[in-house]
Amino acid sequence: MNKTLHRIYVGLFFLIGITVTILLAVNGYSYYSTSVEERFFHPQHNLIKPSGSLGHGFGIVGSLMMILGVSIYMIRKRSRRLFNLGYLKHWLELHIFLCTVGPILVLYHTAFKFGGIVSVSFWSMVLVVISGVAGRFIYIQIPRTIQGRELDITELMKLRNEMSDRLSSEIIFDKSLMDEFSILTSPERYKDFNLLNSIGFFVKDAIRIRKFKRRLISHMRKAGISKFRFKELKRLVEAEIILTRRIGLLRTMQKFFRYWHIAHLPFAIIMFIIMIVHIIVTIIFGYKWIF
Amino acid sequence: MNNSLLTNFILLMMFLSIKISAQISPGELTSFHANLEGLSNCTKCHELGKQVLNSKCLDCHSEIKILISNNNGYHSSPEVKSKDCWSCHSEHHGRNFRIINFSKDNFNHSKTGFALTGSHQKAKCEDCHQSKFISDAKIKKRKNTFLGLNKECISCHEDYHKGSLGRNCDGCHNTEKFNQVRNFDHDKTSFKLTGEHLNVDCSKCHPVEIKNGTRQTRFKGLSFSNCSPCHNDVHKGSLGKDCKSCHITKSFKIINQNTFDHSKTRFPLIGKHNSVKCNDCHKGSVSNKPLFSKCIDCHQDFHKGDFVKDNFVTDCRHCHNESDFSPSLFTIDQHNKSKFLLDGAHLAIPCISCHKKENQWKFRFASFDCQSCHQNVHGNELTEKFFPGNNCQSCHSSSSWRTISFDHSGTEFELLGKHKSVECRSCHYKTETDNRRKFKFVSLKSDCIECHKDIHFSQFDDNGKTDCRKCHSFENWKPEKFDHNKTRFSLEGAHSKLDCSKCHPSELKNGNTFIKYKLDDFKCAACHSQRL
Repeated sequence: MNKTLHRIYVGLFFLIGITVTILLAVNGYSYYSTSVEERFFHPQHNLIKPSGSLGHGFGIVGSLMMILGVSIYMIRKRSRRLFNLGYLKHWLELHIFLCTVGPILVLYHTAFKFGGIVSVSFWSMVLVVISGVAGRFIYIQIPRTIQGRELDITELMKLRNEMSDRLSSEIIFDKSLMDEFSILTSPERYKDFNLLNSIGFFVKDAIRIRKFKRRLISHMRKAGISKFRFKELKRLVEAEIILTRRIGLLRTMQKFFRYWHIAHLPFAIIMFIIMIVHIIVTIIFGYKWIF
Repeated sequence: MNNSLLTNFILLMMFLSIKISAQISPGELTSFHANLEGLSNCTKCHELGKQVLNSKCLDCHSEIKILISNNNGYHSSPEVKSKDCWSCHSEHHGRNFRIINFSKDNFNHSKTGFALTGSHQKAKCEDCHQSKFISDAKIKKRKNTFLGLNKECISCHEDYHKGSLGRNCDGCHNTEKFNQVRNFDHDKTSFKLTGEHLNVDCSKCHPVEIKNGTRQTRFKGLSFSNCSPCHNDVHKGSLGKDCKSCHITKSFKIINQNTFDHSKTRFPLIGKHNSVKCNDCHKGSVSNKPLFSKCIDCHQDFHKGDFVKDNFVTDCRHCHNESDFSPSLFTIDQHNKSKFLLDGAHLAIPCISCHKKENQWKFRFASFDCQSCHQNVHGNELTEKFFPGNNCQSCHSSSSWRTISFDHSGTEFELLGKHKSVECRSCHYKTETDNRRKFKFVSLKSDCIECHKDIHFSQFDDNGKTDCRKCHSFENWKPEKFDHNKTRFSLEGAHSKLDCSKCHPSELKNGNTFIKYKLDDFKCAACHSQRL
């Protein structure tokens, strides 16, 4: 899958997810915004109530998407035979797509009515999704090969030095700018990062990087650098800063990622167990959707 | 992954799941069904594999089940009966969910089998849906229920008639107004309303009575075999009890002409009166009582008072009866009490001969002259002497015109001889030259030739006038007075023995054949020579 095809692949997931979310929201806004006690009298009740012809379908399709999304990703990730079947990154993207749109459909299936045992499943699902989002953030903080293998610190430092050499040959900073860039590209400044100050740290860091980039842009413009070169240099500077941050946070992120697995999978298991109970009870009582 | 941590987490969640297992329900039940909350109660409403069955609902809601089985009430209407209970009465929408979503303003009451009409449309729900109107003890205890009423009016309305008229109020009343019994058809009762009875207020016949301390209008048990229970008998029983034999219901003043027995009145109808329309006598209305002591109270005096003047008669019935105006019953005896006595031929002639000379009857005459009735056929031929005061009876009598009693000796021409036996008309009734016959009296001269023919053709004229009486008498035509010797030729000798015709032959002159008596030539040869 080349870069363009990958963009289409991811863009399509994104488009489908957003479209489904918006369409269902627009379609059912009137109903969903009606209080639970008044919904029965809403004209769309029989259609999009949890047991309605459409609402029940949301639940079934959403559940199937989640089951599929989890199972194919787990199988791909754990099966050695399937090691060469596409990039794990792409399977992860499919897993994210199915396990994002699936819960969205399940959310519409609940008609935003959260109660009873099945709500445990729902909230578990919500936690899984949220943790998935967090996990995705942590995941990308850990540099990997194209096959998904994590790069070790040595490989990363080598990469950063190459990048630094290239930059120093390409651009001449003034002293203050050079000093600031040196600080930003110093992995030691992430020593004090921990879970408690993580948000404040990231906010401050983002502001600092933003200021630096503004000064850099101003400096490069004064130096009369061509537009193409300008973009290339800017990308290199940003890449080195990000790489430095990832090197600085590598151990922390690797630790987070282990913890993340502890949260992500058990909630998914709880969700599936209760979901299966919910489905069984529903079928026992005779609610079989269109079947 | 830390497997021990994961295992502990799963066990924790399973524990929590057990704690909330009671909440497998998709939502809270309404307060009405709150007692059915809990996992063990699911199948009280749900049938495994069959969702929610109506039979489950109706097992508890037996009052609805009974209504449906009796095809009664809102739930038995075809539109509702075919639905699942939960399609209207859903559950698991929270404690305060309106499981009975009832809009007083939009509810179609006709689906209950009791359409709201008339005043019911204006009534508030709670006017009828009150526990005091509910007979079922269980439903009666419920608050704000719309069940339990039945369709009978008396389930809500007080039975004013106290059961005396049964329980079907609809038979008489509608829902517009109770005091207007528009559904009631009096014709279906034993007493069909006709005529003015249709306009009479019910209370006029159906009295309000106090019964058991309450006021009630009496509708049943009224006597109506005759009219007297409601109407006063103004005749005080004199005409019997059957008012209908005379009266009809349209009005007391209108008498049933087909059945009214006039003989019960002081004026029984006889003869022609039977065929006369009531209003011909009872002008305007039969209740008008006309005078009837005299015929002219109703009848016009055809004779314009001719009879009643001078009290000759006091009423028409002296001459007429009810059979017909004609013929009159007036008798000759009665006539003879009048100023004109009927006798003779007057007895035999019809009344009209004298009394209807013209177009109308005339009974009162200015005078009783014969000429009042009879034409004077004699014209001016009679002088006052012989026709005094134009009184025909000086000659005629009432027996016959032909019977004449006239003394001819008083005239210039006394009847003698054969004239005594001759009918008057032989002399006095002459045919004129114009062939018209005419009585002649004063114009009749006493000369014989006025009546008799001069068969001698003026041979004996004396100054142009022939006086027969010189030769003839009234006894016969023989010339008794004639003396041949007084003529210019005396008969002597053989002449006296000869037949007259020997000397007086017949002669034809001017077409007339006659015997010539007056000879011109008395010479012997005038007679004898011829024989020689």
